[in-house]
Amino acid sequence: MYIRVVSVFIRGKYSMRLFEFYSPRTFDEATALLSQYGADAKIIAGGTDLLIELRKPGAKTPKAIIDISKISELTGIREEGDLVVLNALTTHSDILRSQTLQKHASLLCSAASTIGSPQIRNRGTVGGNIMNAATCADMVPPLIALDAQVTLKSRGGTRTSSLSEFFVKPYVTSARPDEILIDIRFPKPPAAASSSFVKLGRRNAVSISRLSVAAILHVEKNALVKEARIVPGSAFPTWQRVMEAESILVGKKPSRELFAEAGKKVAEVMISITGRRWSTEYKEPVIAVLVRRALEACWDN
Amino acid sequence: MGSKHKIIGKPERRVDAWGKVTGRAKFAEDYSVAHQLWGKVLRSKHPHAKILRIDTTKAETLPGVEAIVTARDIPGSKVFGIVVKNQQILCEDRVRYLGDGIALVAARSREICEEAVALIEIDYEPLPVISDPEEALKPGALPIHGDKNEFVHHKVCKGDVEKGFAEADFIIECTFKTQFVEHSYIEPEAVLAEPAEQGGVVITGSVQNLFSSRRSVAEALNLPLSRVQIIQATLGGSFGGKDEVMTSMCCRAAILATKTGKPVKMVNSREESMLESYKRHPYVLYYKWGAKHDGSITAMEVRCIADGGAYASMSPFVTWRSVVQATGPYCCENVKTDIYAAYTNNNYTGAMRGFGSPQVNFAIESMMDELAAKVGMNPLEIRMKNGFENGAVTATGQKLTHTVSLKEVLTKAAQEIGFEAKWQKYRSLKSGEKKRGVGLACSYRGVSLGAEGTDAAETIVSVQTDGSVIVSSGVTDMGQGAQTQMSQIAAEVLGITMDRIQFLNTNTSRVADSGPTVASRGTIMGGTAAKNAAEKVKTTLLEVGAAMIGCDVGSLDLAENYLINVKTNERLASFSELCAECFRKGKPMMGFGWHHSPPTSWDEEHGQGDAYFTFVYGANATEVEVDTETGKVNVIDFVSVHDVGKAINRGMVIGQMCGGVAMGLGYGLLEEFEIEEGVPKQLNFDEYLIATAMDVPRIRTIIVENEDPAGPFGAKSVGEPTNELAAPAIVNAIFNATGRRLYEIPANLERVLLGHKLTRTGKRGSEVKANHG
Repeated sequence: MYIRVVSVFIRGKYSMRLFEFYSPRTFDEATALLSQYGADAKIIAGGTDLLIELRKPGAKTPKAIIDISKISELTGIREEGDLVVLNALTTHSDILRSQTLQKHASLLCSAASTIGSPQIRNRGTVGGNIMNAATCADMVPPLIALDAQVTLKSRGGTRTSSLSEFFVKPYVTSARPDEILIDIRFPKPPAAASSSFVKLGRRNAVSISRLSVAAILHVEKNALVKEARIVPGSAFPTWQRVMEAESILVGKKPSRELFAEAGKKVAEVMISITGRRWSTEYKEPVIAVLVRRALEACWDN
Repeated sequence: MGSKHKIIGKPERRVDAWGKVTGRAKFAEDYSVAHQLWGKVLRSKHPHAKILRIDTTKAETLPGVEAIVTARDIPGSKVFGIVVKNQQILCEDRVRYLGDGIALVAARSREICEEAVALIEIDYEPLPVISDPEEALKPGALPIHGDKNEFVHHKVCKGDVEKGFAEADFIIECTFKTQFVEHSYIEPEAVLAEPAEQGGVVITGSVQNLFSSRRSVAEALNLPLSRVQIIQATLGGSFGGKDEVMTSMCCRAAILATKTGKPVKMVNSREESMLESYKRHPYVLYYKWGAKHDGSITAMEVRCIADGGAYASMSPFVTWRSVVQATGPYCCENVKTDIYAAYTNNNYTGAMRGFGSPQVNFAIESMMDELAAKVGMNPLEIRMKNGFENGAVTATGQKLTHTVSLKEVLTKAAQEIGFEAKWQKYRSLKSGEKKRGVGLACSYRGVSLGAEGTDAAETIVSVQTDGSVIVSSGVTDMGQGAQTQMSQIAAEVLGITMDRIQFLNTNTSRVADSGPTVASRGTIMGGTAAKNAAEKVKTTLLEVGAAMIGCDVGSLDLAENYLINVKTNERLASFSELCAECFRKGKPMMGFGWHHSPPTSWDEEHGQGDAYFTFVYGANATEVEVDTETGKVNVIDFVSVHDVGKAINRGMVIGQMCGGVAMGLGYGLLEEFEIEEGVPKQLNFDEYLIATAMDVPRIRTIIVENEDPAGPFGAKSVGEPTNELAAPAIVNAIFNATGRRLYEIPANLERVLLGHKLTRTGKRGSEVKANHG
């Protein structure tokens, strides 16, 4: 068993903070530390969110930071029969270059390519993107569209949860403090289905999603929509498929007008959930457009 | 012309490049000395409030704290300011914006400083916050300084605007608004102040205008200028931004160093920097033009209100440049311009690359396109019709005696991008998801300080006995390349290669007060001084050479590190041998070069005069793609054309042009430092968005060279003109694409799609609050 223990200072805006830093090499070491510290520990992987969070004034400093990046079992993308499995430490750069994902879920590659900058994509992980649970997390809408499940491990065992039920509210998940996210798995969509991810940011890189849409469209040989999945990002407090819009498409012949109708429905649903806010005047027409474009992009494929 | 120079005009490597790319360059924060303390500022909790009580007792008892200082401890002047002395080093009885400092702590570590600052107790009585300059100017508004908030009113008056409007076939009236923007220098403010051996203080810092900072430190500490030495550390960017905010930091660190007798280092975090530092002025611009159906302009009436923020800072000068240039490089007999600056409880506003021109250019160039649309001309034709030519008379009554190249730069920019054909094609395209548009903007810009004030600079060229050369100047290099330009000029005159020259960072005790390095005056002022200095040394060297060789001075010259015979090009002695001989003969090998600008004049009452001794001309053309369904604008092509007089270093001129466009693109599309009720909303680059490399297209640069006798080897300016045209060019291109004009910048998603800004209210489910512009 090898655990490094170092005391580390982080210089925040107003004070110095002291915490224990652990770098476990195995799951068992990591889960043991989590059961010891519980909510007093924070897990760090790529650090692209946590390091920024820690230096904010008034941020609560954890007693321990557990660096899971040295656990080799946590990296890699693989196929398991009808499933695709992403281990939690898979970076956005790994995802956008993955042949497996290009073949089975190209919307994940598109989404990963829009995140931050090359530096951030090289550090940031899919697991971190999920666990941070920001409403603008770009990997989450595609994964929910793919009907992904997350696997969580603790000293007591392993459990799975559907990703769509995993989020409680912005920045809060249903993971327990002693649990560690180890992988994300989803069934391969039918070969005939195609997918897309469209993102709108204020600039062309290092840009937070103003709005995004993940879509999967399965059109049958008879040229009618068999199944559609639409998951907007930065639109709801937590992510969800917009079934009301999806059902508009099923059984119909794809067209720009039909896609636009689905887009309008998504805007309606958004407003019914969030109410009219300062940004609604902008978001209402634009989410409808992005949904239409995401579906068009699927159809063009 | 190019062939006659060996060094001038060549893309010589920057003299500071090696240090910067290897990491050896020392920025202010890199300086640390033994026994050094850290200093920290306690800043205000309210944008506007009376200070009722300051209690530092708890903080004083904290172990490791070596001094706590409030305004009462400042021995000399508690305020500073280049024009109006009202900026508080520390506030005693009133705070006027959130960046105001109230107390200082010196302690053995940064952490102790932070703890101590939190222990200082202040009682405030909040005052009404004035965040809108037009509100500030209303009668009855609470004055932030003195008895009224209006502290600048500049005028230009030419002809009779009433008569001009009466002659007009139609009138165009528009209101424009611009935003606060942050300089976004990569290196936040930092200094190290050390008590000097014989009394006084030595400061090493990220300071742009060392001499004005020195004056304020001396006044705060009751010291003669000779006892305050400010040494410029290599600057990590400034863009006009390291003037007053650094003066304040220099004063504060010097006070702590004097009080403790120990060196004190102060470094701002990015959040502190954005909270405290000054910004580019937001303007409200009311433009009214009278014109005829043939496109000629009969009258121009302009009224602008600049948000000066909490302190006067450079506002009087910034707005003066605006008033001179507010009607652009266009002929009009009847002009009336009034520009006001008002105090508010926002961040104070001051110098930033462009200095009062980006705001008025946005309005002028938008108006010009409006006029074109009204009379059915294209944007190039309307500018060619009204633009200045040789001998034109400006709005201030100045007759232009240099080569007026406005139409040359305009034509080149338009041709390079294929403007007229594209403009015609894009405007007639029907609706679509993505629409293209092309836009044009041009300007004239006064070079250097003009009638703002005394304009002189010194450069010293010191030739060593081995033929190497040390150059230093009162003009500072903040990354713009002044050191390289001055080195090239000295090398050209002395006939030596650049590797012989070592340039020193500016030190206020080693060179004469050369004024501020602002107004794109580095090359024209420092460079001319360098030429004068080098010529003095050259004269001595040639005399010594003539005696050594036994010939006329007139038959000798210096070239390629040799003393040569001008007729035969025969190499008579090496430059090193010549220098050694000069030393043996006891001749002076140091040249002090001084340059005082040609005369300018200004009649403040009527706003007439020869405002600047010369002008530069530039034009930008751009092509954009507008997503008409989301409001996203992508700039896909950009042409930047500038007449720089003479490019001393082509590589650096292109660098300035590209950097200026990138910064101007951010101003037009992205950047906005929002202040609501005196509280800034963005304090770091996660929310304050500047353009990234992915937002800036390939920029095509065209250098135009009409040499001007006013500058060294014909060189004029390039730093600021490159930054003042991108925003209007982009907004004009959006107009070409969509047929809708934006009267406010930045042209962000909401403005482009909806035509107005959305303001975050923070209230969920509440009705949308729109600021209709």
